[in-house]
Amino acid sequence: MRDKKMPLAQLLAARPAVLSSWPTGAEVDLDEAFAWQAKIPAAKRFSTAMRAARDARRVLTQPRAGVALIDEHIRLLKYLETEGEADLLPTTIDAYTRQNRYEEAARGIEKSVNAGTSLLNGFPAVNHGVAGCRRVTDAVSRPVQVRHGTPDARLLAEITLAGGFTSFEGGGISYNIPYTKNVPLAKSLQDWKYVDRLCGLYEERGFPINREPFGPLTGTLVPPCIGHAVAILEGLLALEQGVRSITLGYGQGGNMAQDIAAIATLRELADEYFQDAGFSGYELSIVFHQWMGGFPEDESRAFSIICWGAAVAALSGADKVIVKTPHEAMGIPTKEANAQGLRASRQTVDMLADQPRIETPQVLREKEIIRREVDCLLPRVLALGSGDTAAGAAAAFEAGILDVPFAPSVHTRGKILPMRDNEGCIRIFNPGAVPLDDDIAALHREKLAERARAEGRSVSFQMVTDDIYAVSKGRLVGRPR
Amino acid sequence: MNAPTIVLGVIGADCHSVGNKILDAFFNEKGFRVVNLGVMVSQDEFIDAAIETGAAAILVSSLYGHGEIDCEGFRGRCVERGLEQIVLYVGGNLVVGKTPHEAVAEKFSAMGFDRVFFPNDDLEKAARLLEEDIRARPREPVTERPA
Repeated sequence: MRDKKMPLAQLLAARPAVLSSWPTGAEVDLDEAFAWQAKIPAAKRFSTAMRAARDARRVLTQPRAGVALIDEHIRLLKYLETEGEADLLPTTIDAYTRQNRYEEAARGIEKSVNAGTSLLNGFPAVNHGVAGCRRVTDAVSRPVQVRHGTPDARLLAEITLAGGFTSFEGGGISYNIPYTKNVPLAKSLQDWKYVDRLCGLYEERGFPINREPFGPLTGTLVPPCIGHAVAILEGLLALEQGVRSITLGYGQGGNMAQDIAAIATLRELADEYFQDAGFSGYELSIVFHQWMGGFPEDESRAFSIICWGAAVAALSGADKVIVKTPHEAMGIPTKEANAQGLRASRQTVDMLADQPRIETPQVLREKEIIRREVDCLLPRVLALGSGDTAAGAAAAFEAGILDVPFAPSVHTRGKILPMRDNEGCIRIFNPGAVPLDDDIAALHREKLAERARAEGRSVSFQMVTDDIYAVSKGRLVGRPR
Repeated sequence: MNAPTIVLGVIGADCHSVGNKILDAFFNEKGFRVVNLGVMVSQDEFIDAAIETGAAAILVSSLYGHGEIDCEGFRGRCVERGLEQIVLYVGGNLVVGKTPHEAVAEKFSAMGFDRVFFPNDDLEKAARLLEEDIRARPREPVTERPA
């Protein structure tokens, strides 16, 4: 196997420019950061928790959460730990920091101080610096992960890893295509190579950093094969840079058989592609995201969606579930609403803990479809790169071989058009340039024709719009009014 | 009357693109000429596009909670740039935290937005209101732009 790891000297040479892009970067000293990481107890290390969950076949719960100010953020996380019984904690980063707009984050911090409440949608970790991050990670007793959506997360990674976080979400595709407008993939993939190499360096020194590519992408009717292809590519990219603890993700689609099949195939296919590429000794776990689309405002209905997601997470054998809240339709939740979502999920997950995974003929059929599709895509992507995984990924998006629906980025074609079939499975009406085998493409079209006949209308963009609004209006499939 | 031009976009550092694509398709179908700036649009980019296309309305979306910061001074900036009469709409999840719709609407009305919408509002109704509001206002005087 060819060693694709970035030479250490190259990483070290790139660091000064990154660290000088905002004043708090000067606080990062790698040797001192390793010494700090050495003091983190095993029970607070993310990779340890994920491995234990996998071994015990438990589903861990984790919320999203972040506010502008340090003390307020600590109070929030401690509340989610005690009142929400969260197994794992997040620190969700605000949207200005995600775009490297630290001046605006600073303004948001100032306005939040004056308003007495957070006006930012997350924790501006870069502005708060290494010492601020350490206050947060030190104050809680659970493992804490950085969750964000940052195309260039080099400085954020430097500061938060030195700040005592033990897991870092994202990747060069999954934090570009759904999260920004015009950053070339070659650029974000290169910047994430830096992040992965930095995580790999911590791993080499004995401080494993869990890495979690963002599975749900746009969270809107994403066909499982698209999410899986991206997740496996980002897993490979992380492994190449020396990461060992990898959590791959998938966002709930809504049809139970398809969702269970997706979780099972994500684990199986990732193992196959990782091993084919020559990797062993890594620790793979799977995260299931509760419904990422629009929610109803009625909190009772929101709880129903939350618990349904928790149930499918448990029945599919996921290792972790990312939990939504009854405030989802209204934006950022209060800490109380967040804890409610966690406890509702906990109850469902624990009641299903002793029940076997579901594997019906329909699940087996969906598994076979997803496998076939991923095998249509990934070998072509890898061949395009001639051994360079990142180059293959960038070329695949350029050629439309990979395509993400409803994304803001101009660097995906956006020609793929998915919608639900008559049973609520996500199917592909128009694959664009995504090279599905003819029989698979025909199967998708037939499934959609079946729905069209049942609804007495032709397959159209109106169906997609109806599907996108359906859950917030109380159903899964967007039937005509 | 020619189809009125409207400028559409998601303000600030917000990358929520799904609703934006639906609004684009919907207002096109309703007969508006839609200039869609997509996500992560600054106040000045909205205004530049409105001036360049002679738009009758600007529709600002914000889903991520920073709407309050991003929309501050928008109406004043429009007036400064010569768009006194432009119809200004805002919609989405505009503030951080669950807040009664009335309180949010009041806050953004005071900031100079003509109407304030929420994620589950009816699009058909929004289109009717937009037609009425555009009809009720005199068009901007046509100004010559230097080449």
